[in-house]
Amino acid sequence: MVFPTALLLARTPNPDRFWKKRKIFKMSAHFYGRSRNCYSIAIRSVHRALQYARRSKDHKKADSIALYTQRIRAGAEEHGVPYVLFREGLTRSNIMLDRKTLSDLAAWEPRTFKSLTEIAAAKCIDDNIVGSRHLEEPKYFFGRDMLKRFWNR
Amino acid sequence: MSAYERVKQWNTFARIWHIYDAKWQNPFDSAKVISKHIQGLHKPIYHPLNNCGDHVIVFNSRHIALPGYEWKKRAYFHHTGYPGGASWTLAWQLHEINPTLVMQKAVKWELPRGLSKFGLMARLHIFPDEEIPEELLKNVTSQLRQLRPVPRTLDSYSDKEIEEFPKVMDYPNDYILK
Amino acid sequence: MSKTHLYLRTGFPRAPLANGLGRYMCQVKRITIKFCKSHGSSRGVRDFIETDMIDFVKQNPEFVLYLKPRRHHSPHLIAEYLNGEKFHMSFHNFNREEISKWVNLMKTRAGAPIMAYRKLGHTDNPSIQGVWSPFANQDTSLNVTSFPNEKLSRKFQTEPTATELLLEMFKKQQLEDSEANESKEEESK
Repeated sequence: MVFPTALLLARTPNPDRFWKKRKIFKMSAHFYGRSRNCYSIAIRSVHRALQYARRSKDHKKADSIALYTQRIRAGAEEHGVPYVLFREGLTRSNIMLDRKTLSDLAAWEPRTFKSLTEIAAAKCIDDNIVGSRHLEEPKYFFGRDMLKRFWNR
Repeated sequence: MSAYERVKQWNTFARIWHIYDAKWQNPFDSAKVISKHIQGLHKPIYHPLNNCGDHVIVFNSRHIALPGYEWKKRAYFHHTGYPGGASWTLAWQLHEINPTLVMQKAVKWELPRGLSKFGLMARLHIFPDEEIPEELLKNVTSQLRQLRPVPRTLDSYSDKEIEEFPKVMDYPNDYILK
Repeated sequence: MSKTHLYLRTGFPRAPLANGLGRYMCQVKRITIKFCKSHGSSRGVRDFIETDMIDFVKQNPEFVLYLKPRRHHSPHLIAEYLNGEKFHMSFHNFNREEISKWVNLMKTRAGAPIMAYRKLGHTDNPSIQGVWSPFANQDTSLNVTSFPNEKLSRKFQTEPTATELLLEMFKKQQLEDSEANESKEEESK
């Protein structure tokens, strides 16, 4: 850099300050109006944007869970098993599938999902869980003990 | 995408027409079920941006059954926008004017707020009686179950059945029959 | 101002023509390296040419490597791919190892533009059993049912109604009464 006078040298901003601002301006590049180019406004908008981004990370997870739950509920109720009983039956049968997997199965592999609902319903009836009275009688039995119990019923 | 893949996609996203008999049903409970089918919430492929809702035909809306004193006490508010333009119509009055409106409003309230309501409500077809246009009826491939059993009226029992019915109690001696 | 150039493009991974399934076809068609014979910034390129280039070219007969000496120019690379994409890259002050790594990367790339992947996997067969459809779990008898149908409409009665219970109690009572009468008659006899 060329400084013709001492005054201009004194007025030259600190190079660190430039990089500090550049860091913020890179993040505000897509904003509208002065919050894109004016530092004092840009930094406020960037801070707010980062807060939103942080919050959205949680929202995204919650939204995904809600969507997966809705899909599983739809799939299970199609076979006459309420969502709560479906999850309870699977847990008691030691089938540890998460919501994402179950919702994928409901849409992409419907036969597997149907057999899962049958397992869950049978387990709920076998364990006599509240609300399982209205479920259909199972067609398949898992283990000799369960068959015996149904036989004696 | 091959031709076969394309047909599979049509199959997955096919719109189903459901039919629902509103006879002796609570419209506000029924609306929950109907709105679910209109939005496509009953499908495992559901996504808010996914246009997968179904059509629902509701018939016998003239014969709905409101709970409790709802016919007398439920008021539908409307304001013309002019001073003094407010009006409150009771449910029984509204039902006399148009026997589909109670059902229609019940479903409308049940749907999510926003502009999507207009598109969703277009998939609801309500008819006051059992007459349904043939071109709609031929689309139907599924029937929604009623939420409560339709009660038998006294007229539908034969005289023999009434005679054979066990006597539950005796009237007191000082009871005056009308 | 448009914001399209500010961020990475997003997309889904694709292999051109199922490349790598059964057979692999190198997607780069031509690599051109421009460099200077005397300038210091081309030092690494010159080292690469002297030591690694012959082996590299012999091992990879699928594409051509052009060398273009350009006097007093900063060295750079141009890679051209089968899908028509063209990539430029500066080799200014790069050393030999860096250059051989970058050239190798250009060789193994598919030529797709650099993008942020929304999903890290891709499958042509997402479903083995067939995707769910509204008809997948329907009873086939619905095909010949006429609507509206009284039987399909009626609510499932899982428990007896109060009327049914009353009638049942009444029947039971009648039976008991008749039995009691019979026993009385027998006693009297």
